[in-house]
Amino acid sequence: MNTPAPPVLVVEDLELRIGNAPEPIVDGVSFTLNAGETLCIVGESGCGKSLTALALMGLLASPPLQQSGGRAEFQGEDLFKMPRETLRRVRGGRMAMIFQEPMSSLNPALKIGEQIAESVREHQGLGFEAARLRALEMLERVRIPAAEKRLNEYPHQLSGGMRQRAMIAMALANDPSLLIADEPTTALDVTIQAQILDLMRSLSQESGTALIMITHDLGVVAEMADKVAVMYAGRVAEAGSAQQIFDDPQHPYTLGLMSSMPSLGGSRERLVTIPGSVPSPIDMPRGCRFAARCPFVGDDCAEAPAAREISSGHSVSCWRAPLEDAVTETEARIA
Amino acid sequence: MSHTPILQARGLKRHFVTKAPFFGDPTVVRAVDGVDLTIGEGETFAIVGESGCGKSTLARLLVRLIEPSEGQVAYQGNDIGDLSEQALRDLRAELQFIFQDPFSSLNPRMTVGALIEEPLRTHGIGTLEARSTAVARILTRVGLRPEHADRYPHEFSGGQRQRIGIARALVSGPKVVIGDEPVSALDVSIQAQVINILEDLRDAFGLTLIVIAHDLAVIRHMSDRVAVMYLGKIVEVSPTDALFRSPAHPYTEALLEAIPIPTVGARKAHVAIEGDLPNPIAPPSGCRFHTRCPYAIDTCRTEEPVLRDLGDGHQAACHFAGDLTLKRIKPGDLRRTPAAARRFDVYSAARARTDPAKTQHSSSREEKPHAYR
Repeated sequence: MNTPAPPVLVVEDLELRIGNAPEPIVDGVSFTLNAGETLCIVGESGCGKSLTALALMGLLASPPLQQSGGRAEFQGEDLFKMPRETLRRVRGGRMAMIFQEPMSSLNPALKIGEQIAESVREHQGLGFEAARLRALEMLERVRIPAAEKRLNEYPHQLSGGMRQRAMIAMALANDPSLLIADEPTTALDVTIQAQILDLMRSLSQESGTALIMITHDLGVVAEMADKVAVMYAGRVAEAGSAQQIFDDPQHPYTLGLMSSMPSLGGSRERLVTIPGSVPSPIDMPRGCRFAARCPFVGDDCAEAPAAREISSGHSVSCWRAPLEDAVTETEARIA
Repeated sequence: MSHTPILQARGLKRHFVTKAPFFGDPTVVRAVDGVDLTIGEGETFAIVGESGCGKSTLARLLVRLIEPSEGQVAYQGNDIGDLSEQALRDLRAELQFIFQDPFSSLNPRMTVGALIEEPLRTHGIGTLEARSTAVARILTRVGLRPEHADRYPHEFSGGQRQRIGIARALVSGPKVVIGDEPVSALDVSIQAQVINILEDLRDAFGLTLIVIAHDLAVIRHMSDRVAVMYLGKIVEVSPTDALFRSPAHPYTEALLEAIPIPTVGARKAHVAIEGDLPNPIAPPSGCRFHTRCPYAIDTCRTEEPVLRDLGDGHQAACHFAGDLTLKRIKPGDLRRTPAAARRFDVYSAARARTDPAKTQHSSSREEKPHAYR
């Protein structure tokens, strides 16, 4: 294990289009994920974070959506060129996903134990009894109390937190190398959220599973992420280590998002907001997609800025970064 | 803060009874189970708790949108329980409600203008002309344009619909506005815009605002006082700063410990309490929190604690209130690096330059919208 292991997932210039909209709905998304790492993709509704995840899982609703460019290499294989049958084996096996609303992603008519065992039988070819034992083991690993009894219960008999645990158990039952979690705690209460985050953290540490976590909550990001990608309107606005994003935020959108959050520190000052709202996905603007809401906008923003590395591993798609220099220049020009 | 009380609840209870089954007794959910509250005029009062704690039921009881099983609510000293339907309807012009979901709370077949005008029409306020002026005016105040009155709700985004909901609540010139999770369905940047609008209008019209929320950051930002609810009861009530500085109930500590903090390397959100909320049909004996409380002793299993005064308006319903040293969010956990702080300054300065609306609502209180009544 001395030679650096190859990355689990490399995504390059992912582009997704919807119908015949002139501009792509997800544009130029790239990232690399190593074993044991957690990448948080953060952004607001409509920023393309869930679509990116669905595209990787081969679950895009197509039509109207289609993957129109870029590639995604998972353990050396291109996910977008994989034959259907291979993808079926990979999905749910080496690569799994959990969703926001566990009630609607579990089969209401199947017992919890049966749902987990089904995927184990399918992917590992285990027999009925062995699969059942594996299901029990998984329920115990996600710390569901009285796991033996829960095996024989239906999803509606479980609380929201328990259901999310069962989803995690199912996703991890085949020891995946990559787990994608789309807003896994958004529907949960804060004390239950803390339990689930804690569980996901310790499970990914134990197993070395790479984790992509999609969230809108910067608190969750700070807590979970090794790497962060801040997405806005289908593009990555800023990417870097969690430390870089929180301690040295560069993109005006990142700054706006952070200053929009009410502080737990007791400041009663008026929130510094981002004006306006996100562009429509079928009518994405040309040029910088944040320009219409950006207080630093200028003529050059009519052209889309490419990602620029501002320090090692920290890239920003903004002509103005670092902002303090840009502001001083503007002031000098005016004077 | 000394306020004259505007809304008071005494021994308020609401029990929901299911339809009687074929055998046995019907089940009873004690959604709100004995709440005493005094809300002062002009203050912003927050009610916080997790799903199923009864906070929305309490909000609806406070304006008699549902009838209490027991107890009274008094508005400006008068019991609203005895009011006739007509009198209650008249009162509602002064007690308004903002709902959580801007997609299901607006009638899709009515234009925005008609929706906002409806409360004025219902209460017989103003002439037709005065009403349409009022609609145009309130639309501007919530950051929309008067010409939006002719459009339908589906033409608006979630944030804009919530602004419409706010306009509808405020157009009749209420004294008290209750928001049931008014910003929790919104994205962060839109949430911030709506919080600012709510605060501006509260200050401009001198409203008493009651905010139901589960997001402690929103509560910390907006409210003067907070009540923490657990399984139908208030377990702690306190001025907001004091609650965050020195929580007195273990459940409040658990809530504070569980919030993820947006600072890398700050304390990790801590699993302070295991397990789920107990079934509200059969709440635990004694202290309702004892099944999840790390400090519980035998007394807690048998004796129910009552709200005890800890001074300065801080009360907690715990046998050990004031004796336990509970954890809180330390200011150090929320630190920003100098580099980040400088960049946020650059951003706010740029926003202040490009957003003249920011200073538009000055501190002077304006006439209330119902001045043309």
